[in-house]
Amino acid sequence: MGLTFLLIEDDEIERLKFARVLQKNKYNHTLLEAENGEKALELLESHKELPDLIFLDLNMPKMNGLEFLKILKSNPALRYTPVVILSTSNNHNDLKESYEIGIAGYIVKPLKYEDYAHKIKCLIEYWDVNELIKR
Amino acid sequence: MSNELEILQRALQREKAARKQAEQILEGKSRELYELTQELKNVNTKLQEGLTEKSSELQGVFENLVDAYVLMDISGNVIKMNDAANELFGYDIDKEHLNVLSLIYEEDYQYAMSSFQKLVTKGSFSNYQARVNTKHKGVRTVHINASLIYGKKNQPIAAQGIVRDITEELEQKRIFEEQKKQLSAIVENSSLGIALTQFGKILQTNKAFQNLLGYTNEELLQKEVKDISVKEEFKESAENMQKMNDGEIDTFSVNKKYVKKNGTIFWAKTNVAAVRNTDGSIKYQVALIEDITEQLEFEKQRDKLVKNLEKSNKELNDYAHIVSHDLKSPLRSMNALLTWLKEDYEEVLDENAHHSLNMLIKKVDKMDLLIDGILRYSSIDKINQPQQKVILNTVVTDIIDVIHIPSHISIEILTELPSIEGDTFRLQQLFQNLINNAIKYNDKEKGVITISCEQKNEFWEFSITDNGPGISKKYHDKIFQIFQTLDDKNESTGVGLSIVKKIVDVYEGKIWLDSIEGEGTTFYFTLKNNSFL
Repeated sequence: MGLTFLLIEDDEIERLKFARVLQKNKYNHTLLEAENGEKALELLESHKELPDLIFLDLNMPKMNGLEFLKILKSNPALRYTPVVILSTSNNHNDLKESYEIGIAGYIVKPLKYEDYAHKIKCLIEYWDVNELIKR
Repeated sequence: MSNELEILQRALQREKAARKQAEQILEGKSRELYELTQELKNVNTKLQEGLTEKSSELQGVFENLVDAYVLMDISGNVIKMNDAANELFGYDIDKEHLNVLSLIYEEDYQYAMSSFQKLVTKGSFSNYQARVNTKHKGVRTVHINASLIYGKKNQPIAAQGIVRDITEELEQKRIFEEQKKQLSAIVENSSLGIALTQFGKILQTNKAFQNLLGYTNEELLQKEVKDISVKEEFKESAENMQKMNDGEIDTFSVNKKYVKKNGTIFWAKTNVAAVRNTDGSIKYQVALIEDITEQLEFEKQRDKLVKNLEKSNKELNDYAHIVSHDLKSPLRSMNALLTWLKEDYEEVLDENAHHSLNMLIKKVDKMDLLIDGILRYSSIDKINQPQQKVILNTVVTDIIDVIHIPSHISIEILTELPSIEGDTFRLQQLFQNLINNAIKYNDKEKGVITISCEQKNEFWEFSITDNGPGISKKYHDKIFQIFQTLDDKNESTGVGLSIVKKIVDVYEGKIWLDSIEGEGTTFYFTLKNNSFL
């Protein structure tokens, strides 16, 4: 059964990369996209069905990833949705703060597309075999 | 006849009576004389006693006189001297003849003669002060009061003098004056303003104090401390003064403002010390003031600079991260797009296009490495790891175990490596970069790398020797600069040695190298041996 992912990412090519990995691997998962935190919140509030998993970029204009994460975790309806960070750096402070607020994973985006594709593939396959709260 | 007889008898009777009377008178006179004699005798005895008493009194005074006493005849021949005089002049007149003229110090002769003249004409002189030659004590300065002694006919028969040795006293006085002069020279020439005050009144000031305030000494003597202080601040000083008066403190130091004659204000560090009477009450206060207006200005500027520096340091660190994010994102995108081009158009593109795309991807990789380098370089002095004992033997052995060493290369630690206080991560980075370079650039069939260390005073000197291609002398400085690489194959970023240099700097050490082109290189570096601290 297909999962629904929400990818929150300001960079268009990053979004293309993620979609391409799904498409190339012929996964039947649904991908929702948001350019930034505000758009993601709007989408979450309007959408009847919640995503099973959120992929979140940290460095975004306006509301950044950590700010979005805090709002999400303080919302009783949304807080159980696992969030995996897709970040540029393994900056210690970012890592610490993310885990403090509550995340399900932290992926550093590698330079090479092949490496990226591999990581995302592993990630999706991992979550594919996980039990998630359905509403 | 009977008449005659009667007359005769009466006459005889009268005569008898007259004689009797005369006898009586004589007897009375005789008794008077006796009594008078007795009285005289008594008086004489009393006088005798008195004289003896006086003489012994005088003798006592004479002997016990602390000052020297000299009795001489009119020609200056000494007749008598007391013990003090003996002691002073060193002559025993019982054994040798002494004339006072021989005692006179040559240069004072004229003065001595005129004083003697005064003695002869006026009968005395006082406060004579001159030098004398003594037998054992050399030249001494003495103070003399002298007077003549007259005989029965009121003619001078002798002279007496009381002599006090004032040499020491004069010397003390001279030393005191000298010290006073020295002290006032110090006070006057001090760059610190110094003022003596009493109950808030200014009693004395030095040149620097006058210059600082722009008043003359005379003007300042009319002032009180509060007149040259700023009103709002005077309270604090007054509180300290009170504490000082109460004996709670002896000194205090404040930074306070002073008002100059022209009304301008300056900041001065002020030290006040109490000079107390024996009963502990305050006699004076000594205030030392030092203009610190400039100093405060400097401090203010320095604080500002430090703040700016902290800010730009932080900005720089943030900058490194921003750069890494902002520069890396497009690189990732470029890599993705290039990869897709290759994947999606594999059949369309010819070999040339593939080659170009691969080159492009390589350049993107290189760019990514450079950015990583900047990040690593900039974070060396940022991460403040706790200082701990680092066992370098273990660190280096671990590096050798972990990194990839091609089979044709051998690494050997020749001497025991020390343990030093430091940050494991940095020290590991230091050794790893140097060892990596030695491996990476080795061009020999059998690569040999050796590591050793020896103690040099307060430093450990390490050396890492390889038998690689060597480094031309002209690059010995350049290689430590960031992004400088001698690698033609374009695989290195030129960050490694700059990081090594930076870490050595952190440990207050030096790094240098010896190299023979074609034969090999030895990198030397020192690290402070902090067990010396």
